[in-house]
Amino acid sequence: MTELFVLAEHRQGEIRDVTFELLTKGKELAKKTSTDLTAIVLGHNAGNHAKRLADHAKRVLVIEDPRLENFNSEAYQMVLSQLISQRKPSLTLMGHTAFGVDLAPSLATELNLPLATDCVDLDFEGETLTVIRQVYGGKVNVKARVRKSEGYIVTIRPATFETEEGTPLGGKIVTIESPLSEDIEYKRFIEYVQPPAGEVDITAADSLIGIGRGIKDADNMPMMEELAATLGGVLVCSRPIVDKEWLPADRQVGTSGKTVKPKLYIAVGISGAFQHLTGMKNSDLIIAINKDPKAPIFRVADYGVVEDLFKIVPSLKSKISEAREAHT
Amino acid sequence: MDFDLTEEQKDIKKAAREFCEKELTPELAIEFDKKEEFPIELYRKAAKLGFTSMRFPEEYDGQGYGILEDCLVTEEMCRVDPGLGVAIMSGTFALPDLVLTHGTEEQKEKYIPPLSRGEKVSAGAFTEPEHGSDLSLMDTTAIKKGDGWVINGDKQFITNAPVADSFCVLCQTSPDAKPTYRGESLFTVDKGTDGLDVTKLKDKMGIRSAITGAVSLSDVAVTKDNLLGELNKGFYYVLEFFDGSRIAVAAQAVGMAQGAFERAFRYAKERKQFGSPIIQFQGISFKLADMATKIQTARLLTHKAAWMFDQGKVDPMLTAMAKAYASRVAMEVTDEAIQVYGGYGYLADYHVERFHRCAKITEIYEGTTEMQKLTIMRYLLKRM
Amino acid sequence: MEIIVCIKHVPETAEADITIDESGKRIEVEDLVFDINEWDDYALEEAVQLKEKLGGSVTAMTVGSEEGDSTLRKCLARGADRAIRLTDKAFEGSDGYATAKILHRAIKELPYDLILTGAQAGDDGYAQVGVTLAELLGVPHATMVKKVEFSGDQARVNRELEGGLEAVIEMKLPALITIQTGINEPRYVSIMGIRKAKSKEIKVLGLKELGLKEDEVGKAGSWMTVERMFVPPVEKEVEILEGTSDEVTTKITDILRAKGLI
Ligand SMILES: Cc1cc2nc3c(=O)[nH]c(=O)nc-3n(C[C@H](O)[C@H](O)[C@H](O)COP(=O)(O)OP(=O)(O)OC[C@H]3O[C@@H](n4cnc5c(N)ncnc54)[C@H](O)[C@@H]3O)c2cc1C
Ligand SMILES: Cc1cc2nc3c(=O)[nH]c(=O)nc-3n(C[C@H](O)[C@H](O)[C@H](O)COP(=O)(O)OP(=O)(O)OC[C@H]3O[C@@H](n4cnc5c(N)ncnc54)[C@H](O)[C@@H]3O)c2cc1C
Repeated sequence: MTELFVLAEHRQGEIRDVTFELLTKGKELAKKTSTDLTAIVLGHNAGNHAKRLADHAKRVLVIEDPRLENFNSEAYQMVLSQLISQRKPSLTLMGHTAFGVDLAPSLATELNLPLATDCVDLDFEGETLTVIRQVYGGKVNVKARVRKSEGYIVTIRPATFETEEGTPLGGKIVTIESPLSEDIEYKRFIEYVQPPAGEVDITAADSLIGIGRGIKDADNMPMMEELAATLGGVLVCSRPIVDKEWLPADRQVGTSGKTVKPKLYIAVGISGAFQHLTGMKNSDLIIAINKDPKAPIFRVADYGVVEDLFKIVPSLKSKISEAREAHT
Repeated sequence: MDFDLTEEQKDIKKAAREFCEKELTPELAIEFDKKEEFPIELYRKAAKLGFTSMRFPEEYDGQGYGILEDCLVTEEMCRVDPGLGVAIMSGTFALPDLVLTHGTEEQKEKYIPPLSRGEKVSAGAFTEPEHGSDLSLMDTTAIKKGDGWVINGDKQFITNAPVADSFCVLCQTSPDAKPTYRGESLFTVDKGTDGLDVTKLKDKMGIRSAITGAVSLSDVAVTKDNLLGELNKGFYYVLEFFDGSRIAVAAQAVGMAQGAFERAFRYAKERKQFGSPIIQFQGISFKLADMATKIQTARLLTHKAAWMFDQGKVDPMLTAMAKAYASRVAMEVTDEAIQVYGGYGYLADYHVERFHRCAKITEIYEGTTEMQKLTIMRYLLKRM
Repeated sequence: MEIIVCIKHVPETAEADITIDESGKRIEVEDLVFDINEWDDYALEEAVQLKEKLGGSVTAMTVGSEEGDSTLRKCLARGADRAIRLTDKAFEGSDGYATAKILHRAIKELPYDLILTGAQAGDDGYAQVGVTLAELLGVPHATMVKKVEFSGDQARVNRELEGGLEAVIEMKLPALITIQTGINEPRYVSIMGIRKAKSKEIKVLGLKELGLKEDEVGKAGSWMTVERMFVPPVEKEVEILEGTSDEVTTKITDILRAKGLI
């Protein structure tokens, strides 16, 4: 029977969440298209990973090789291109992550299989694969058809599908011999560099004020710090604020920053690109202040204020400070 | 006939816009408006990118463009903030232009490159307490002594005076000349020269970061190397200088009007009364239409005057028209911008009141509007 | 070091009002301001800084219409030595894959040690062109790079992974690197730069010059065909707080108080 591949992603000994999200979606698609869901894991001492994956797939293919311990796209591509050529899966899913982005395009090009990147949904309509992608920073969705082919590669945006635990599938674990014969000299993984620990742990705070490019200028930072202080919360931000060095990197929320789940997240002048939303959309209460009524941030917010933040923030600060004084 | 800017001119405009929008922030604008200080850091930054030396030749580290390109930058600067914009673009005021047209090679080498690079600030000292619109007689005298001259007198309203490294001073050298303006000469005077004293003028209505001072010269001794051009030609040189610099003032006015208009336009789309954005009320939308039309007209006139100047076909009448008209438009548009904002427009935080305060200067300096009209009439009478 | 930077001219949409056009397959771009793609802005700066440090030259290259010249001129003014625009009616509608094929044809004829692209484009967000191009050229690549160093014919780069973790990778040159924002501070366009750019030409190459066939590019040569565009559904029904600033902030304060957050 034809297979549907889900490529497992792991780093520093942990399987990454996106893998299970993909397996959940993969299961649904495999059922619909009567194919077998196969999880693929490349690694070294990947036995434990394989066992966990077996709960979520019909089959787990394990490729064991010390050269696969840390991700190197060249090594992964060599293994996967062979595997896909041999087994001809109808579809290969991987995360639209630092891993998938480095691997999928070259793999697809080598195999001449159509690739759809950063998809938030996909489906087979008859023989045709259709995908949904977000464009223009999440303001518009596109439904696209993928050119007909015997196989496809699709990268899926992380945190798009929710992992369902379900009953363990007890998939069969099959170990395949690594086709790698020698070290890849022209591209080598050297080491990981951990981000420096910050002064404050933003994942532990109850209230966060998230600021984005809408605050326009470093001169406005004190105003925002004051708001955070008045609220007894911590100031965090979207990526451009860190890129401009207005706040240190450990204050960044999102895929390349931290994932937070505070009781309160007030987003000020943040558009709501998915890389940011991924990091905060599970906060208990989200209030968004943005002058653009179509900003994607409003799609995850509980309350929204469509207004110039410079009109709201000073007033909000004094209201909160009054409320606190009345309380004490 | 072609009304379009060249690609290169569009790139210049865009480069200036990007710089201004990132650097001339509203917060800095308010801060400098309050403290009345010259924004030296911004001036240096702008100079490094070439914005303040547009009209100086490349051999003196300038950019080798004309007044038109200079105007494009000025417009963008004043569009983002009229105070900081005027301050930055006036850092190289008067002296380099006069040195370029009439100075010796030594004077050019000495003054222009450091000004082009933003290391120095210059000033032009023409106005006196008793002589503003009428510069045909100067109370400041330069009396020949040996090989040099000794200058005595007071100058009033001198842009940059408190921070200027060198001044270009209009003096009476031949008091008995008939008419008296045939006895005026220009001298360069450097900061630190004995007898030169500057006091800062405070509490101006607008362009408060383009600082202004009174200059007093008492027994200031200068050498023959300080004489600019020929003896007794100073008055003519200054009038000729104004034919170019007035176009830059018109560009300031166009930029200020544009900036206030854009703010008002945005506000009118956002502000709701009686259940709809105020831009939907004809009373407001017609205002905006008129504002846009006036700005467009003023810009065309200004660009034409600049273009004529750059072609070597200076037309003092057109220059005067551009300055008089653009400065009036700046006053009217900034006034209407406040009106569109209603009560908020009256508050500093909403910025348009600053645009209005700043706009007024364009009707006064480098020849008041009345003086421009005299010029226009003089030419009309000659030509019609 | 010979460096090629791939640049895209994109509409600025973060603060713009976007509407889908009548075809339902595109957005209205008429009133949008176009500029260099945010990620490419950093890639260009990195290329110019590398050139200033190591010598060599920078070539900026774009696939797109003549409108892109303003962005190419910006690259020239900021320090690129030459610019190449790949334009042809047949290129219209190209997806990331077809775009990479076009770039490949142009680049394979040029000398290069390093190719830089942005990590992704802010409009269609494929994050695909760079790596596809590397594969077509047969050179190693690294994506989302935040630091680049060289020793001999080796490039040592820091890739940005999730959660702020970085991976250090070494590659043999020639190589392709996709650049992540924040790697440097892009400079302003200077008037001196604009003057210098005047003497640099923008070379234009089309289908024929590149030896491509019509069905290799454009819609025919793409993997993806847009069926329709639509406004994304909401994940949560947001309650918009209306009123004057004062009323709105009172409402927020009430909500926070009710939830025991102040
Ligand atoms: C691999 C990768 C990883 C990334 N990781 C992250 C990440 O971890 N975290 C992250 O945040 N981003 C990340 N990004 C970047 C992300 O794609 C967006 O570019 C970024 O989140 C945008 O930040 P922003 O919302 O602050 O800015 P913009 O998108 O520019 O939005 C600014 C918003 O402010 C509003 N605004 C402007 N002025 C005002 C005003 N006066 N009043 C009210 N509102 C105003 C505008 O309407 C707009 O919606 C990543 C990108 C890539 C490619
Ligand atoms: C902020 C600022 C910066 C300045 N910077 C400089 C500088 O850097 N260098 C410099 O030399 N000067 C500078 N000036 C001076 C400026 O050029 C003069 O103020 C201007 O020329 C007017 O002169 P006045 O103030 O003496 O007015 P007056 O000449 O006294 O004029 C008063 C009024 O009478 C009108 N008037 C005068 N004569 C006539 C007439 N014949 N017909 C009709 N109406 C007439 C005028 O138009 C005006 O309305 C500056 C002034 C200001 C306020």
